Amino acid sequence: MSLDHIVSVTIGGLTVGMIYALIALGYTMVYGVLKFINFAHGEVFTIGGYVAAFTLLGLGVNDDMSPLVLAGCVVLALLAAVLVPMAIGFLIERIAYRPLRGRSRIIPLLSAIGVSIVMQQLIILVFGPAPVSMPSLAVGSASFVVFGIRIRVLALVIIAVSSALMLGLTYLVKSTRIGKAMRATSQDMEAAEMMGIDTNKTIAFTFVVGSALAGIGGFLVVMYYGSLKYDAGFLYGLKAFTSAVLGGIGNIPGAVVGAIVLGMTETYGVSLDLGFMAWFVVAGLILGLYVQMVRVPRRRLQHIADDRRTPAYEKSITDVYRLTPYYGFKTLLAERTDALLSVSAAHAVRLMFGNLFLAVVAAVMFANASVRIDTRWQPVIAFVVLMVILMFRPSGILGEAITEKV
Amino acid sequence: MAAMTERISSVLARVPRGVYMALAVVLAAGFPLLNVIGVVETAWLRVGVMSLLFVMLALGLNIVMGETGLLNLGYIAFFAFGAYTTALLSSPKFELRWPFLAVVVVSTLIAMLAGFVIGLPTLRLRGDYLAIVTLAFGEIVRLTIINLQGFTNGPNGITGIYSPLLAGGSEVKTGLAAWLTVDKPIEYYYLVLVAVVVVSILLANLKNSRVGRAWNALREDELAAISSGITASRAKMLSVVLSAGIAGFAGSLYAYYSNVISPESFLFMQSVIVVCMVVLGGMGSIPGVVVGAIVLQALPQVIRQAAGAARSDFEVYRMLIFGVLIVVMVIFRPEGLLPDKLWRRESHEVDPRELEKTRQSLFDLEEGEKDLEV
Repeated sequence: MSLDHIVSVTIGGLTVGMIYALIALGYTMVYGVLKFINFAHGEVFTIGGYVAAFTLLGLGVNDDMSPLVLAGCVVLALLAAVLVPMAIGFLIERIAYRPLRGRSRIIPLLSAIGVSIVMQQLIILVFGPAPVSMPSLAVGSASFVVFGIRIRVLALVIIAVSSALMLGLTYLVKSTRIGKAMRATSQDMEAAEMMGIDTNKTIAFTFVVGSALAGIGGFLVVMYYGSLKYDAGFLYGLKAFTSAVLGGIGNIPGAVVGAIVLGMTETYGVSLDLGFMAWFVVAGLILGLYVQMVRVPRRRLQHIADDRRTPAYEKSITDVYRLTPYYGFKTLLAERTDALLSVSAAHAVRLMFGNLFLAVVAAVMFANASVRIDTRWQPVIAFVVLMVILMFRPSGILGEAITEKV
Repeated sequence: MAAMTERISSVLARVPRGVYMALAVVLAAGFPLLNVIGVVETAWLRVGVMSLLFVMLALGLNIVMGETGLLNLGYIAFFAFGAYTTALLSSPKFELRWPFLAVVVVSTLIAMLAGFVIGLPTLRLRGDYLAIVTLAFGEIVRLTIINLQGFTNGPNGITGIYSPLLAGGSEVKTGLAAWLTVDKPIEYYYLVLVAVVVVSILLANLKNSRVGRAWNALREDELAAISSGITASRAKMLSVVLSAGIAGFAGSLYAYYSNVISPESFLFMQSVIVVCMVVLGGMGSIPGVVVGAIVLQALPQVIRQAAGAARSDFEVYRMLIFGVLIVVMVIFRPEGLLPDKLWRRESHEVDPRELEKTRQSLFDLEEGEKDLEV
């Protein structure tokens, strides 16, 4: 386990995470505004990659071209990879989602699945079933060495471009007129309309921006990996969605955080020893225990009227969260419940078992410290992360954006 | 013209439902006879068996999706559980040959157990999140099947699954035992048909029972249902476990029928196809779902035969049409081809004429009151 290895794996994870983030932003923005999972977003990403690759192939780029012409071609490809997905995102919203607005949740999701299938088949019909391959350019594989670590230029470009785009998006949402409209629409569509906001236009704009980001993501992926398959969007889309949920869906910084965490988990998961990763589990366990035993009781007690806050009462609340097996079983036996605090014996026991589970996992990982997980299992990691996060903390790392408005 | 159609439909509506059902069963049971007298090829019998298996899957998915209103996008995973259990218990892989009934029961139970395990932590999630979790579950199952090569042979799948013996014993004997071995398409057809009929009768009765009403209530308004005393978690769990069991049952029959199973048969797209069948037929409507499954499974084969299209191209167009179909159905006819009564009422906006009538009568009432005052 050399430091070089860890650093280069970290850069790889960051790069992948940034690409997930670009796609995840589209999911999270649409979710924020419409409370709806745009299942077809992954296909928009694929189309971005395909259009970019075919533009470059069509222009016949090669390394003999002068750098200026080459740069021009790349910019053209980028433009195509932005504009075509934008148009498609706009059309999808108009045709398949707008007529369904206000229906129960699963109906638009079904429509989105239909759109996703249609787009996948259209990609096959238009571009053929074979994966598209980029012309191999020297720029694409260029790399340099710092402190004995080889770094691909393109990885740094991806990290820089994505960061810039995310900053731009934050500015757009936080400080512009249309961003304000987006936030208002997301908060309460009806009220926003009464304030004179054209919500239809705002929603269309959200789709267009999200699709443009996904298109850029597709462009970067096809540059980085050199090829893209017609069904790549499914997996990328799901991973991006996982990132969005992981960070707290509807929350823009959350999507970025979630994407980086997921990218890192995936890359670390299959390229580092279990012994190294076990420390992350230990850190998570300690953080979790701190939150459960100190932060949560403190926050919950703040909501209690002063006359009820006797020391005995406070102790009873704190005890529920003191999740040693002893207290866990004690609360279980006492069946102590407090609806106002939403503290229940069952909850305490659940947390206790969660902690025990993490401890066992860490112990098993330390016991097999030198083992690495086979790369074959990499796609499973994202799905497991998705299931675990939805089971235990559906609101994600940042924020509680999924609480329902009544 | 319009009056005529109305008359016909009113006459059709007066025919008791049992007549239609009996007619459907007779038609389905008579279909293989066309093969026996040599009108249709045996290939069509195979299409028939697959259609019936998908009918069963669609009926199972309909419980969660149509009756309880929970979208399951990883439904094919339960099918895989059933199929792989059967393959492991009745193939040269582990040198096992359990009796048919035992295998089917165990496969069903394993799939139900999988449903229970996945339902336990996820059922409290809201609809769309549940859909994505089940999708992830389906993919995890498929990828795990591919990766656990010692157990499942990975991507190669398990081959040489034995034919079911309806009467015990582990060797194919002569006489009655040989006669009771299911190994010809026509025999599989009737085996699956009996299973489908039994399952659909069971589900039709369940739908009109206390449990079925609880499911529908949860679908319409969870809060109201809970307030009227329905234990949401129990009812939802029952529907998930039951639908998983039906998928496991179908998967077991599928493994027997096809002799070979591989992870290729349990792709996400398969789950979507089953969803598509339920949407097309009409969520919550048993006859609708049956029709939807038959149309979507058999019709493409008929078209393929007629067009003689190349295989790869054909798949693309088939999926394209499925996708368009889903979108068009949910936008224009969300209640499906043969809708369930409740869904029709729910899924459409209020009919403007109806609204006008209501308003008129309210208006009349006001007028009347005014008259009284004067």
